[in-house]
Amino acid sequence: MKILKLPKEKLDLFASVVQQFGELHAPVEQDGKYVFKRLMRWSDARLEYDRTILPPKKYFLPPRETLFRYRPGEGFVPHTEGLDQRIILFGVHACDVYAINILDRVFAGKYPDPYYQARRKHIAIIGIDCSPDKHCFCRSMRADFVDHGFDLFFYDTGDYYQALVGTALGDDMVLATGSLFEPVDGTDIDDYKRRSWNKRRAFQLEVEIRDLPEIFEMEYQSEIWEELGEKCLSCGSCSMVCPTCYCYDVADHVELGSRAGRRARSWDSCLFASHALVASGENFRGPRASRIKFRFYHKQRGFVAEYGRPSCVGCGRCISACPVGIDVVQVIDRLRRVQDVASR
Amino acid sequence: MSKPTVGIFGLTGCAGDQLVILNCEDRLLDIVALIDIRDFLMASSENDEGCPLDIALVEGAVLSRRDADKLRAIRQRSKILVALGTCAVWGGVAAMDRGKDRARLLEEVYGEIGLTYDSSPAQALHEVVKVDLGIAGCPIEKEHFIAAVAALLNGDTPLYPEYPVCTECRMRENNCLLIERGELCCGPITAGGCEARCPELRVPCVGCRGPAGDTNVPSFVAMLEQKGFDRQQLAARLRTFAPEGVAQ
Repeated sequence: MKILKLPKEKLDLFASVVQQFGELHAPVEQDGKYVFKRLMRWSDARLEYDRTILPPKKYFLPPRETLFRYRPGEGFVPHTEGLDQRIILFGVHACDVYAINILDRVFAGKYPDPYYQARRKHIAIIGIDCSPDKHCFCRSMRADFVDHGFDLFFYDTGDYYQALVGTALGDDMVLATGSLFEPVDGTDIDDYKRRSWNKRRAFQLEVEIRDLPEIFEMEYQSEIWEELGEKCLSCGSCSMVCPTCYCYDVADHVELGSRAGRRARSWDSCLFASHALVASGENFRGPRASRIKFRFYHKQRGFVAEYGRPSCVGCGRCISACPVGIDVVQVIDRLRRVQDVASR
Repeated sequence: MSKPTVGIFGLTGCAGDQLVILNCEDRLLDIVALIDIRDFLMASSENDEGCPLDIALVEGAVLSRRDADKLRAIRQRSKILVALGTCAVWGGVAAMDRGKDRARLLEEVYGEIGLTYDSSPAQALHEVVKVDLGIAGCPIEKEHFIAAVAALLNGDTPLYPEYPVCTECRMRENNCLLIERGELCCGPITAGGCEARCPELRVPCVGCRGPAGDTNVPSFVAMLEQKGFDRQQLAARLRTFAPEGVAQ
């Protein structure tokens, strides 16, 4: 991996040069919150942000998307509009890059998803390091650092951004800027280590994920699931804002006066009563408690069995987006707590 | 194949849903090319008031014997009856205080003569006759009406979102009025399908589309009480559009 540094005052110059590689999108402020948006001017970018309302997932798996159009007797035509649009996501946090790497495994695995893959190929990612706030627990989820999945990744070390070059495209971006980037020296290495150390100490939240799937297995009958079921509003907010929730619903939208139409997908949530409802009327997860339980089990246990790690990256979005304050860290802490049953 | 015969009717309501149909201006010609609208008083002075109908679309709630008789007659001549709008589907605004003493209300509004009026507590259509399909909304969404016509013509029923307004509000990446501003937003318990039109404009959801498919009202109310809203205020807001079974 190539490591270079960019003087901070040259960042805007870099941003203007890099636009030749695609349309620039970055976090911008929206009433005190942040959203990834197309930049109208570089000064709108907010690189010191906590988290965006929606994760970058929306670029690779849009909330709603037409898959193909169909017409009886003619078959179907895939909807490919916009799939090859070149975009640069500037300022993606490590946890969100990690989440995209997780989505890669899902959408490039057993059932490759051409829509996702096309977008992933055409959207560049320039990551940026961040400081944890009260909802961040990415370090516990091993997602506070990424070594792949980005084209460039910037670390703020005071007067410079140190840049990890992740791909050939990232390298092209560096080369296109001429001599903006400089080699790192011993002082820079110390600056990086200092930053790494400081970040590590800044976390206010911590969870232990070692043996967590086993504890989930043991606590399958825990009363906590009923309690959460009574609290959960099934509003789906946690799934919408989750960088690794990838469930979608597929429906045909028939045209007026014909049997032709379009097939589209939209984000779904396992918290919805309709999620596990099948054609016979059977619902495999009817009660709300079984639905929220499923969400936790899939993230923290099922995904580990399938992919070797939890699908949660500790971004804290579900904690800040839940209207009734359901908090994944508190749930895990409670599951881990010794009940002291013997002394009862 | 002959075009299906259709009737569009209004009981007690604001006629807003029928207006939405008339407002499908760029699609109206397509629609009338596919269906034979025989009875639609709001749009035509010449109607066939007795013919059998393949599809009847009925807006408004039942608020009188006259409404109930009219609805039963429509049901009798129709193969498929569609409840159009939140009043028809849930009772709507008129059903807000239907537990109250009707005679007292009539007297309060109209004076003594009110007692002679044909007036009954508001009922949703399904409380009076069998309803085959409901399209909620105050008013309904144009696209939902067109989707219903398109699906019914194919012998199918349209699918509408059962998830709440929050889902679409999050998809649109709006700031949360409930969490960030502590406003009384009914998004979590109200049926989606409106693309969170109001919260998108920073206006809290009043619940005009009626309850979502799966609502957790006790938890919703407890959360709002914690924010400092009193129970009565909440009950009034919740009862504006939702039937008492859902919002007690």
